[in-house]
Amino acid sequence: MRTLASFKRLIAVVLGVLALASSVLLAGCGKQVTNGTYTGRVRVSGSTTLLSLIQEASVQFMDRNPRSRVDVQGGGSSAGITQLQSHIVNIADSSRELQGNELAMGFVDHKIAFDIIAIIVNPKNPVRNLNSAQIKAIFTGKVNNWKTLGGFDKEIVVVVRDQASGTREVFDQKALGSTKEHPVESKPSAIEGTSNGYVQETVATTDNAIGYVSYGFVDKTVRAIRVNNVSPVVSSALDGSYPMARWLHMFTKGEPTGATKGFIDFVLSPTFQRKVVAQEYIEVRRVLNR
Amino acid sequence: MSSSDGGIKTAISLKSARFADGEYWVRLVMFACASVAIFAILLIFVFVLRESLPAIRQLGVGNLFFSAHYNPQTQNYGMLGFIWGTIFTTFGAMIIGAPLAIGTAVFLDQVAPERISRLVRRGIELLAGIPSVVIGWFGLILLVPFLRAVTGTSGFGVFAAVLVLVVMVLPTITTLSAETLKSLPGELKEASAAMGATRWQTIYKVLLPSAREGLLIATILGMGRAIGETMAVQMVIGNARAGTFSLFGTTSTLTTRIVTDMAEAPSGPPRSALFAMGLVLLLLAMILIVVIRLISRERRPGR
Repeated sequence: MRTLASFKRLIAVVLGVLALASSVLLAGCGKQVTNGTYTGRVRVSGSTTLLSLIQEASVQFMDRNPRSRVDVQGGGSSAGITQLQSHIVNIADSSRELQGNELAMGFVDHKIAFDIIAIIVNPKNPVRNLNSAQIKAIFTGKVNNWKTLGGFDKEIVVVVRDQASGTREVFDQKALGSTKEHPVESKPSAIEGTSNGYVQETVATTDNAIGYVSYGFVDKTVRAIRVNNVSPVVSSALDGSYPMARWLHMFTKGEPTGATKGFIDFVLSPTFQRKVVAQEYIEVRRVLNR
Repeated sequence: MSSSDGGIKTAISLKSARFADGEYWVRLVMFACASVAIFAILLIFVFVLRESLPAIRQLGVGNLFFSAHYNPQTQNYGMLGFIWGTIFTTFGAMIIGAPLAIGTAVFLDQVAPERISRLVRRGIELLAGIPSVVIGWFGLILLVPFLRAVTGTSGFGVFAAVLVLVVMVLPTITTLSAETLKSLPGELKEASAAMGATRWQTIYKVLLPSAREGLLIATILGMGRAIGETMAVQMVIGNARAGTFSLFGTTSTLTTRIVTDMAEAPSGPPRSALFAMGLVLLLLAMILIVVIRLISRERRPGR
């Protein structure tokens, strides 16, 4: 018992020293940062596609502007737009365009990146290319086995995104030809993933699965297939030969001011675009300056 | 003596108690505590009912509760497939989990040597403390690929959800069952042994029937956990919008559908339909508890 007690004391001492050391270190870090020009609070919410990117931006922005505070939340593009409309947030991240009555609400559009939606399969899957009709047949459940598509004799496990997802909205429109008046229903037994990461993870671990994710989530654990013999790469998305591409937006209600404007400017700054945005998406100026 | 009787008695005695009586205040505080729980339940029930009314009015009871066609894109909000998904997974988990847990409890209380019993108990307590998202993650990474390899399906689906739920209800049912067995008077076992019954006969013919009510309550509470579990189930059930009768089919339960769709759900029928699912969950839990209460009450006189 005595040894246990002294061990506990030792741990307490070690923890105390660590806490002290870290607070000194943190204080040191704080001093290195120059005082920025922006103060105040910016609330951001919306697309889960954009969540990690905007979180990174908020961290860097707050480092440069220590007296400002940026809160970032996910929840889906539609949720963000709803919250913007009711003044709960200053900026709505969106991976889809405004639609219907959202167009008449006085939102200002800031395009922050260009994205490609890649259709992914497991690397073990021999299928490399699918045409538009085959993709539609798979995702609506008309074709249920890989064999007819030149793959192995296995059931196709379809992974789609949840209803809140802007990625799904774009995919349904551009790959399934779904419109508001004539919605195309995806396969009823399709697995619904609530994030890009979930879809990627599921496809990476399921050798007979197919799904779709943002360009940034294609890595070596999954394989992006060609659509109509066109690879999902920057050039094909820009010239329109690859069908599933989209703008990623930040919406504000009216022209932004203060820290909100500062934050959007920071996201659009050449440094952030080149160093962070380009890791997953395509820089805005590369599309607009064509 | 049920708790509601106690509550009424307390309420009555509140008036007659003398002000200076220290017990008065203790009773008042206890009564207030009990009221908070009742009040919370009432509030939730009223709120959920109010929020689900628009969907019931606009879509109709048949389209909402007795249709299995769910797709917000086409304005179909039939939740029958998800009600079935909840029942399917819950009963599946009970069929595997309850015997397993009660068996474990018997082992702990009657069979195991003290040291082993303590070890197993600690393990089960630890299991109860594991957050559901961790169990779900474990299911997603290990269980689903295993089921996929064995069955040749996606691995996601009802059976994976059932197994995850078994892990989650095991601590609840085991701990409560062991408590029940422990609380049985020692004379029961001694009398049975004196009659020449073997250990197994004593357990099967004397101890388990005597503990039946406690074991049922343990199972009810486990069931409550299974019905309400969301995170772990959502990670392995596949979250498809179709209902299924296949053990390896992908589907959703009421809770997983609510959490999958609530981020979107614009106000109006889509949001209200999710509240209606919450309403069904509440009713389902109430019905189950009432039914099992009735069973346990009927059996008691004939024991």
